[in-house]
Amino acid sequence: MNIVTLRFVVAGILASIGAAAFIIALGYEFGSARRMGPGYFPAVLSGLLTLLAVSEMITAALKPEAISVDWQPFLAILAAVAGFAVTMYLFGMIPAFFVVIGITTLSENRFGWGAALILTVVTSTGAWLLFSRFLGMTMPLFDWP
Amino acid sequence: MWDNILLGFATAMTVENLMYCFIGVFLGTFIGVLPGLGSLAAISMLLPMSFYLEPTTALILLAGIYYGGEYGGSIASILLNLPGTPSAAVTCLDGNPMAKQGRAGVALFVTAIASFVGGSVGVIALMGFGPSIARVGLSFGPADYFALMLLGLVAAVTVGGGSLVKGLIMVVFGLLLGTVGTDVTSGEFRYTFGFLELRDGVSLVAIAMGLFGIAEVVSSVREAGKRKITEAVTMRSMIPTRADMRRILAPMARGSSIGGFLGALPGAGTVIAAFLAYATEIRVAKDKTRFGKGAIEGVAAPESANNAAAQTAFIPTLTIGIPGSATMSIMLGALMIHGITPGPLLVSDHPTIFWGLIASFWIGNLFLLVLNIPLIGLWVKVLQFPYKYIYPVVIALICIGVFSMRTSVFDVGLVVIFGGLGYLLQRTGYAAAPLILGFVLGPMLEENLRRAMLMARGDPMRIVSDPLTGSILGLSALMIIWSVYGGVRGLIRSRQVKGIPPGEA
Repeated sequence: MNIVTLRFVVAGILASIGAAAFIIALGYEFGSARRMGPGYFPAVLSGLLTLLAVSEMITAALKPEAISVDWQPFLAILAAVAGFAVTMYLFGMIPAFFVVIGITTLSENRFGWGAALILTVVTSTGAWLLFSRFLGMTMPLFDWP
Repeated sequence: MWDNILLGFATAMTVENLMYCFIGVFLGTFIGVLPGLGSLAAISMLLPMSFYLEPTTALILLAGIYYGGEYGGSIASILLNLPGTPSAAVTCLDGNPMAKQGRAGVALFVTAIASFVGGSVGVIALMGFGPSIARVGLSFGPADYFALMLLGLVAAVTVGGGSLVKGLIMVVFGLLLGTVGTDVTSGEFRYTFGFLELRDGVSLVAIAMGLFGIAEVVSSVREAGKRKITEAVTMRSMIPTRADMRRILAPMARGSSIGGFLGALPGAGTVIAAFLAYATEIRVAKDKTRFGKGAIEGVAAPESANNAAAQTAFIPTLTIGIPGSATMSIMLGALMIHGITPGPLLVSDHPTIFWGLIASFWIGNLFLLVLNIPLIGLWVKVLQFPYKYIYPVVIALICIGVFSMRTSVFDVGLVVIFGGLGYLLQRTGYAAAPLILGFVLGPMLEENLRRAMLMARGDPMRIVSDPLTGSILGLSALMIIWSVYGGVRGLIRSRQVKGIPPGEA
């Protein structure tokens, strides 16, 4: 079996986050043990994170095991949240609800457009009532860039 | 003392506060019943609702959501044999066999009663010990705070089970995320990458919703469709027999005391409490073979233990300002959003908040009892409702919830990042709770360490040689050593019958 398993990759991501944070932390004033600068704590932490994650990478490489990932709901839901962010920014809340629910339904095959549409209408009405009417939050329902 | 308790009840008994307590318990149970979502997700999702309320009312609402979420999780565990939280996993051991024997109603009733008894014992402990612990907390210096927080973090990693290295990675990663933003001492921006939004730090709710909300929903999409509930649960079926009632009295008493004691300690209090209460019942039982096959004591003891622990977990959170679990750290975050700094001064400076909150804990537990027995049919309907119509709405609510926190699209973007990372971490066996705890404690840990080192003139030996600080630090070191030798974790693993989801503690 391949050494590069999901466990190895995830540990690798964490190790690179640690290493990058360490390099950035070197740019902050380190200070001394008595008077710690803004860089002291981050440098120690990111160094520790890198070491721990590298040791986890080694363990993962020595004992490769297969881990399954449900890519379809994973990617669909992440895309839906990202879609919400973009639509909310450009067009306001109601269109954003259509986008987030529409893309989320792609997690499963044959979800059905009718069901998705009803869900969206019900949810956006409910959210409008709760957030705008009941809690008095100000957010654009519809917008145009 | 009595004056304070009366003040608390007077605060909690206003129509508005009672109403929000009810709303909180109701919504919390609703979200907790949904597969994959527990009390932590419920609190983070509904946090924005509390912004427009008075601090006391807001906290009462959040506490209601917390208990509701815990109880809702138990309903889902017993009926589906799918524990949403590690502490509910223990309830499953005997709760689900009971459901299979057609005694789901009784199991749910015992859960409600045991939760109420455990919760009440916890509230009494909180009333009795909270103020005196706060008084002790007043004398703590920065070094003591640093040592206590470190102990909490170490406990969260070593006691929770699972890989020590992975737990440490998550804690350190959480602490590192906590350093993002403006450095309190020097005013320098750290890891902001030029984003204005990051100057106040990463949004706690964005992290929590990514790691718990998105990741949990993604992993339950495929599984949820396969589960079916066949047992009909009616109010009539919930009435226990006289023999049942006699059997649960002693287990509830034992469970509540175990839970009440363990909950006040930092770390994964509720989980350990539930496990230990269950183990104790097996030890004292005459016929040990009944356990795992629907023994009513096996439901009553862990449920009262984890609810007592859930209450006493507020002791360190409110009186010292150090949360013991991920859920408590969200509560702490909520307090700070409302401009209240938990700590030794909370009891004396904000007596209405402290005592009102405690009184509302008890009222919340009472609501839980009166709400859930008549409404059980409704919750079963929610569970039977096809999951495919639920999760898109949950995702939409997560989005709008995070957005409305700071009306920030940037935070929604963070949810994408933490959701993606969170799911991959969960698949590869990392628990998210230590990360949240590290993130919340990080800034306080750093500040106290810096102050302590300044006072010790840069000599770590001065800190270690202080009797109190030194012994707390020594305890942390012992826990690490112990867990390396598999002490605690071996114990838990041997009790671990089914896979326990990594996550909320």
